[in-house]
Amino acid sequence: MNDNSINQYGKNIFYVIFTVLFLIFAARLIQLQFLFQEEYGVISKENSIRTVSIMPIRGYIYDRNGVLVVDNRPSYSISVTPAEFDIKNIEFLSSILFLDKQEILDRIARGKKYNRFAPTRVKRDVDFQTLAFVEEYAERLPGVAYQIESKRYYPTSAKAAHLFGYTKEISDRQLIEKGSYYKQGDIIGATGVEGGYENFLRGEKGYQLITVDAKGKIVGHFNDGKNDIPLVEGNELELTIDAGVQALAESLLTGKRGAVVAIDPSDGGIIALVSKPDFDLDWFSGVTPTEIWKQLNTDDARPLYNRATLTSYPPGSTFKMLLAAAALDKGIINENWRINCTGSFKLGNKVFKDLHVHGSTNVVEAIQRSCNVFFYQLMLKTGLETWTYYGKEFGFGSPTGIDIMEENSGLLPSVEYYDSRYGKNKWTQGYLVSLGIGQGELGVSPLQLAGYAMVLANEGKYYQPRVVSNIKNKENNNVLKITSKMRELKLAKSTWQLIREGLYRAVNVPGGTGGAAKVPGIAVAGKTGTAQNPHGKDHAWFVGFAPYENPKIAICVLVENSGYGGVFAAPIAGLCIEKYIYGEIIRNKISQQPIITDLKDIKD
Amino acid sequence: MQNWFEDKIQLGILLATVVLVCLGIIAIYSATYDAGASAYFYKQIIWACVGLFTMLVVIFIPFRTLQLISYPLYGISIFFLVAVLALGKSIAGSTSWFGIGSLGLQPSEITKVTSILALASYLSDKRINLHKFKNLAVASGIILLPVTLILLQPDMGTAIIFICLLVPILFWAGASHTLLIFLIAPALTAIAALFGTTLFLITIILLLLLLFVIKENKFISAIIFSFTVLVGISVQFIYGRLAPYQQKRIDAFLDPAGDPLGAGYNVIQSKVAIGSGGIFGKGFLEGTQTQLNFIPAQWTDFIYCVPAEEFGFIGAFLILILFAYILFKGVHLASTVKSRYASLVCIGVVSVLASHIIINIGMVMGMMPVIGVPLPFLSYGGSFLLSCTFMVGLLLNMYSNRKEY
Repeated sequence: MNDNSINQYGKNIFYVIFTVLFLIFAARLIQLQFLFQEEYGVISKENSIRTVSIMPIRGYIYDRNGVLVVDNRPSYSISVTPAEFDIKNIEFLSSILFLDKQEILDRIARGKKYNRFAPTRVKRDVDFQTLAFVEEYAERLPGVAYQIESKRYYPTSAKAAHLFGYTKEISDRQLIEKGSYYKQGDIIGATGVEGGYENFLRGEKGYQLITVDAKGKIVGHFNDGKNDIPLVEGNELELTIDAGVQALAESLLTGKRGAVVAIDPSDGGIIALVSKPDFDLDWFSGVTPTEIWKQLNTDDARPLYNRATLTSYPPGSTFKMLLAAAALDKGIINENWRINCTGSFKLGNKVFKDLHVHGSTNVVEAIQRSCNVFFYQLMLKTGLETWTYYGKEFGFGSPTGIDIMEENSGLLPSVEYYDSRYGKNKWTQGYLVSLGIGQGELGVSPLQLAGYAMVLANEGKYYQPRVVSNIKNKENNNVLKITSKMRELKLAKSTWQLIREGLYRAVNVPGGTGGAAKVPGIAVAGKTGTAQNPHGKDHAWFVGFAPYENPKIAICVLVENSGYGGVFAAPIAGLCIEKYIYGEIIRNKISQQPIITDLKDIKD
Repeated sequence: MQNWFEDKIQLGILLATVVLVCLGIIAIYSATYDAGASAYFYKQIIWACVGLFTMLVVIFIPFRTLQLISYPLYGISIFFLVAVLALGKSIAGSTSWFGIGSLGLQPSEITKVTSILALASYLSDKRINLHKFKNLAVASGIILLPVTLILLQPDMGTAIIFICLLVPILFWAGASHTLLIFLIAPALTAIAALFGTTLFLITIILLLLLLFVIKENKFISAIIFSFTVLVGISVQFIYGRLAPYQQKRIDAFLDPAGDPLGAGYNVIQSKVAIGSGGIFGKGFLEGTQTQLNFIPAQWTDFIYCVPAEEFGFIGAFLILILFAYILFKGVHLASTVKSRYASLVCIGVVSVLASHIIINIGMVMGMMPVIGVPLPFLSYGGSFLLSCTFMVGLLLNMYSNRKEY
């Protein structure tokens, strides 16, 4: 070689440069593959494996006769995967979905917070045309997909809006409160059975681990699906309701404001629970338009409000049996104690009126004919403390503990109540007189009154009302039976007999106020009530049970702002009883009509 | 026979090359396995056979003949480069291919080889003195002519490789250090300027120190210094006028995490692929990054992350060792062959291979800008594989003729 010194020197330069560079590369390899291996391993996993949750089908709901009352139907939702969605397509997507641009962006932003690789629902329950558009433009809309979900469907004419309740998309606040199971976009039971039995109905989500390529396209199941978590289907519920009675009661209250609660006295199961006006659950099964929400919330008839459990009205004459039971049990009176009803009662210089002159009246007759004067006097004789005590025993003034719904405790006044309201010794006996006939500072809900009817029917036995009787696990077919707590109001047999006789006569013997509740072939017992309403027409009440000897149904009917209980509430109760006992209405329409009109003059 | 073989064939370089080509085929098989691109795999096998056969043929080209045909080959390849600009078909935004049947041929790859031969031929002439400006200009011109033509395609990566070829050969041929500084300093300063003013200033200060150390004439030092500063300042201006995709690549290099789905996406994904491979790798065809095609066209420039992910550090390090072995052997050969021509050819080959390896692996590991430069022997590409095996063939040829003057 010509110039050896240069090459020797040059060779070393090359060696040094190469050595340094390759050492740097080796160090970089060690850094990436030894030190950061874990970190990059996680990224690569997240890169390629995605968890897709599979929604279980919400549990089906049956009535006491095995009739499917809450069903599921397929519904199509449009979802957007934030990581794959090209924001340039927002205008186009907005025009296809008929959804505000900002609303879509908000939903995508919410989804992004949780997982930008997971599809987030932007529109629930789209029609087929929208679905077809999304399918057609799939290529132009990366990250936009549709999912088949299920929505609630109500196959029978029993709509039971307040009882079944509705489901809705989980709110941000609930996401925080309810813990980690729920994810954004999940459907959660909000009210009624859907809300109360959410944990049973929803089932458990399943999870599939899928591998995706760089474009997010699904290329297969991770580890052949061995790591997938299967979903658990929602439990089936069997309710205590009778869809037929429920539907009938709903139709009877159509156009009215009121409530019907019917209870099976043998176990406390709710046979029917209606509050009117109500709303259509179908409005909530898919997307609830904001206009409907607004309308429901601003309607002064308050269709979302459950009158069966939340109202608190004076019960009127339906409360007379409570006072009778208290006085008889305490030995304050017996069946022979009589008063002479002159049509009014004078206390000091205040006159309390009755609607009729009943003459000489004992406790059975007083219940039968709803004699106010008898109970005015009896109230004074019995006193507030005793009355309040028995009121509590019958379940007033406190929630019933029904399994699914919000309820009102009502108001059962006591000495303490009056003391705190008016001051000690500042209130007089005059305040009490009207309590004797269920008026005044007193509030009960139709559910509480139905429970009271059950106690009268059962001669003291009270079962905590409930709506669900069986929970069936779809995985192993195990059935969880729900039974009610029972408590008993122990009164003398003779006391119960006197009161029950009064109730029987009120419906079945001429001169009784509840004749409109009469059903051919069934011995119905019951009591009407008319609650004075300072804001308008009186509220009509009826409580009762049937058959008299072996009660199968206890019922309470409230028709607001209508008038006399004997005219407006009793016929509804009769028809419900008829439907429940016979399974159908045996009277034809022509024979039903006179019952309602003829009894117009029967006074409460 | 045994002795003849050992005398004629540098077995180490030969075997290292064959192993690397095989690893490349395996990696391409894996990268294209699920990408619907298995055609690349079959094409590459054909090219590997053609390339390795060519390598063996090149070993036995008579040494003198090679020297004699250096200029004509260079001339022909330049002609092709011009022709491709006029006729070539466009692939990924640049015109650099000739269609020959279904296998494309890239004149710029051929030119790499012929440029080495031509430059070595020119510099080995006893009458050439690199201290004469005219001779230096001709030597540089041999490289700058194809660089200009390639930049017109435009193919930035290949053009950079040619520059990386020129400087070491001139150094090896005995050009003055001042001259080399004059060539290198502006380039380094330009890159530093892209990183920001601080690094730019540091580079300038280092250059100043270097100029003091080599004690060059003050006037020349001042010229070099001002020119370098001028280049650095111009870079910002030029940057603004670059094609958007080039700007993006530079940006992505400066901050790969800044635009994860843009130009930096590949680098992030390739780092994830390499890092997640760990020590032993995820196993052949088990690399999720590779199999799920997180890196577009991984079988070309980003092929290194395939063995790194699937065979882990073991595989990645083996490849580094094999590359280093070929480069060190090449430098050793350059300093031991008797002929100045052979020595310069060896250095030329080593420089081209080294610049490819360093720029590519540096890029894949997120240490260098994303410049479209393939990895020798492993990346998919027929012309490139052919030129690489041809160059190894030249090394082996020089070895078998190492005693010739």
